[in-house]
Amino acid sequence: MINIKDFDYKPGEHEAEKASNSYLMSLIAVIAGLPLPIVNLLATLIFFMGNSKGTYFVRWHCTQALISQFSLFFANTAGFWWTISIVFGDGQVSNPYIAYMITIFLFNLTEFVATIYSSIQIRKGIHLEWWFYGGITQLICKKRT
Amino acid sequence: MKKVTIQGLMLLSLFFISWLGLSQVDWVDLLEIKESSDKLEQKLGDQLWEIYSREADEASNDTILHALDTLMNSICEANNINEEKIKLHVLQKDEVNAFAIPDGHLVIYTGLIKSVDKQEELAGIICHELAHIELNHVMKKLAKELGVSMLISVTTGNSVNGVAEIAKLLSSSAFDRSLEREADLQAADYLTNANIDPEHLANFLFKMSLDGGDYTEYLSWISTHPDSKERAEYIISATGNEEIENSPILADQTWQSIKNTLK
Repeated sequence: MINIKDFDYKPGEHEAEKASNSYLMSLIAVIAGLPLPIVNLLATLIFFMGNSKGTYFVRWHCTQALISQFSLFFANTAGFWWTISIVFGDGQVSNPYIAYMITIFLFNLTEFVATIYSSIQIRKGIHLEWWFYGGITQLICKKRT
Repeated sequence: MKKVTIQGLMLLSLFFISWLGLSQVDWVDLLEIKESSDKLEQKLGDQLWEIYSREADEASNDTILHALDTLMNSICEANNINEEKIKLHVLQKDEVNAFAIPDGHLVIYTGLIKSVDKQEELAGIICHELAHIELNHVMKKLAKELGVSMLISVTTGNSVNGVAEIAKLLSSSAFDRSLEREADLQAADYLTNANIDPEHLANFLFKMSLDGGDYTEYLSWISTHPDSKERAEYIISATGNEEIENSPILADQTWQSIKNTLK
């Protein structure tokens, strides 16, 4: 699901470090132990905006890291509010609820592993394209002329 | 672009297929969620009842106990409520109060029985508390105000003053507005099904919302159920113009005998 591809040019040491950090940003909430799904996305978004004038390689990976956060953000937010409705509202723990929580846990785990792997590889200057997210990034992140 | 769209749809499908697939497993049964929450509620109910029963003596007058049992059973029967899970306790205390505690315990103080003019008003209050039990409001309130972890630590003996705090919370603080409204409307339904006009409950609330009377200093039930006048109004409007043939559950003689005993 993650393909190693040739980039347009060989990124420099500094570029690889910055690009690698964009993936680490998305892990901030996990490291801080915060259950709020918005924290991940905000951290990545801030890093993305901070590097919007960066080199093509840095921008490309900041974009891929940001987009990959979006889908999980929606799934996690739904799970978060579902839990809140159970604890404070009329909701009840049901089979679909537990199944949903397991599903988002598995998707988050997959993303977590992929993120760490990507961060390590990109730090070495290796260009990685994620399945689906790499394709979207390719469509929206263009090389400046 | 086409390739990306297909990949996106596949990812979305994978998510929903995983969710649907995992939903087929009976997790609630597998993880014994119902059993553990029932056990927690039962333990908490027993511990709380122990505290209340230490504060005041249980009424021992057969006429009162028998009459309240009859009231309760008739209401339960009319509303398909399993009466065996309701544990009714009558405590000898002057406070005008009645409240529900976890695991179906319903506590009524003799002060409340003394303060009502008609048996239908008492039936109305019983229905209101029954509604809190049936709608699981008690555990919801505790989970909301104290958190599930606190409840677990209380029942496992890790919080020394926890049970006493919960006891105070349940007998002297209100449910939130929406839960009170839900219980009032449910109580009106219960009363209608038991052939008792819900207007009597509304009358009691209205009466209690007025100042004065002999019981003002003991009015815990009203202080824990604020906005009584407004509640009386929406109970009346929920009943609408429906004609309810009022048929008292207890014989007049029995009711008079209770009132005389408590004088």
